[in-house]
Amino acid sequence: MDPLIVTQAINVLYGVSTLAVLALGLAVIFGLLGVLNIAHGEFVMIGAYCAYVTQTGGLPYLAAVPLTLAVCAIIGVAVEWIMIRPLYRRPFDTLVATWGLSLLLRKIAEAIFGLGYRSVNIPLPGTVKFIGTEYPIYRLLLIAISIVVVAALIVWYGRSRTGSRIRAMVSNPELAQAQGISVRWLAAGTFVTGTCLAGLGGVMIAPLVPVQPFMGLDYVLRAFFVLIVGGLGSVAGLLSGATVIGGVDSVISAATNAANGYFAVLVLAILFLWLRPRGIVARS
Amino acid sequence: MSIRKQGVTRRTLLGSAAAGAALTVLPGLIRPAAAADEFKIGLFAALSGPASLFGPTQKASAELAAEEINKAGGILGRQIRLIPTDAGGPPAESTKSAIRLMLEEKVDMFVGSHDSATREALVATIKGKVPYIYTPTYEGGECAFNTYVLADTPEQQIRPSVAYMMKDRGAKSVYLIGDDYVWPRKCNEHARAYIAENGGKVVAEEYVPFGAPNKFEEIVTRIKSAKPDMVLITLVGADNVNFNRTFAGFGLDKDIGRLSLLLEENTLHGIGADATSNLFSSLSYFENAPGEANTKFKAAYFAKFGDKAPQLGLIGADCYGGIYCAHALATKAGGTDAKKCMAASEGLTFPTAAGQVTMRGRHVDKTMYLAACKGTEFDIIKTFADVKSGDECKT
Repeated sequence: MDPLIVTQAINVLYGVSTLAVLALGLAVIFGLLGVLNIAHGEFVMIGAYCAYVTQTGGLPYLAAVPLTLAVCAIIGVAVEWIMIRPLYRRPFDTLVATWGLSLLLRKIAEAIFGLGYRSVNIPLPGTVKFIGTEYPIYRLLLIAISIVVVAALIVWYGRSRTGSRIRAMVSNPELAQAQGISVRWLAAGTFVTGTCLAGLGGVMIAPLVPVQPFMGLDYVLRAFFVLIVGGLGSVAGLLSGATVIGGVDSVISAATNAANGYFAVLVLAILFLWLRPRGIVARS
Repeated sequence: MSIRKQGVTRRTLLGSAAAGAALTVLPGLIRPAAAADEFKIGLFAALSGPASLFGPTQKASAELAAEEINKAGGILGRQIRLIPTDAGGPPAESTKSAIRLMLEEKVDMFVGSHDSATREALVATIKGKVPYIYTPTYEGGECAFNTYVLADTPEQQIRPSVAYMMKDRGAKSVYLIGDDYVWPRKCNEHARAYIAENGGKVVAEEYVPFGAPNKFEEIVTRIKSAKPDMVLITLVGADNVNFNRTFAGFGLDKDIGRLSLLLEENTLHGIGADATSNLFSSLSYFENAPGEANTKFKAAYFAKFGDKAPQLGLIGADCYGGIYCAHALATKAGGTDAKKCMAASEGLTFPTAAGQVTMRGRHVDKTMYLAACKGTEFDIIKTFADVKSGDECKT
């Protein structure tokens, strides 16, 4: 098969899977808790800076994972307690509050690291022959990790007791509380899971992008598109949104040019907001 | 409404409106009388937005120049007061600031270090009422009234470096990739001419939306299948970093050379040591550029700002030259009258971070450097002395 088409096909798969992982944190928080976390991109940024710090500290790349989980969990717990908990039923207020949080996190990153670009070296450099074409090893690894992470989350959410408790909380919080489910702890845990997933996404993409305080803005935008198109509250929604947005962007960019790809994404987002605001997989 | 509760009457409304108006005017009245003696320079720099990583060095270099000039007596006996203003947002915001600076602050001159889209908006707003000095790199052709351009032109940046890549490195086919706005598009027009005059051909010309979160896997794959000898890059900022990292990630850096037209120290750090082989940059200033002038400039810069000095590069160091140009222009013209400044600009000489330059046709001939990237450092491999700007504007 024509190596160009094979490579572009792998690019599409790469685009979709990384988009799914980067949107996952927001899907958890927005989809399950109804909280508009505009600071989602900043947690991705925190993950990327943790990877930078780990690498400049001379530690192996995987050490960035526990560091990111620790930092994002601590910040997530603090944010949920101070800012999100009082505002659970007030979506516009959480929007404004998390916008302020994103400004704060960006400024803190700027104060610690400065505005300049940092680069994180790719932990697994080089290319490998894959289906008849040379493709970067690290990107192939990311595709594999993304599939594993999303699959693991689906299984855990569907099968585990905590998963069923979360589903109960999402569909009817008062009834869940009455059943003895501690909604406050569950909601806090869900929020922290969302921020940690965003941080992990940051660790994954850090070697591929410039690490700077404003990098998060790109990801929160794309993540919101994915959720608008795919629908909130379910993994099927996340996956369908990531497939549609990532797929359309990648395929059209590959076939014509990047401007048309981005244009198509924007048109899709507008059409969905207008005609089918609940997304492809609307929560019943 | 009952008689007791009168609410807001016309009297209270007029009274509070008058008080409000008085309050807004008050700061202007309170300003010390000494301000009338200052020479105000509106400095347009990237204080916010994607280019804000340059803001600190733009301000720092300009402050250094202003301090040196003030110690030597200022401009026409008046002390320079720099007014740093944000030009890193959308052009419409910068034009509002320009209007405010002209009407309220009554600035004497503008010095701008920002992208060309903002420049075009500012030129249309300032309308030549205040001298406007534009300093970074650009696409050539700016001859607006009372506008003075220190920026690198395509004739200076592209012509000698493309000739080098094609003659010395044997590149015959070129792939053009840039952000979609005026600077890359005009530069590519010039580049096509220079490529043709060296017997080469353009394989493809591609643009990505400026300001969108772009990723480059698809484009790099297209370049890989087109197999050009070199890529001429007019991407800026994060796009430049992303593209180059993706390019090297796919292993294309081994066989295909890259020449980037806005690759300075900060962007190079972002690209990282593992993605810079076969990558070249052509600019009029690098931090490690040779020459006495740069040595003196750096000594003064680090003496003033110490360890916390912002990273030096063309975008930043250009403001140093811009302030000195303002000083030379106003001194030779005896003021800031537009016609006198236009006449005085011809043959004007002043120092910049890279050395002394002379203005002709309201543009500047300069020494250009071509650097190869070694890790995250620039290695200057060729120097083109006294390259003409190629732009002759009337005075």
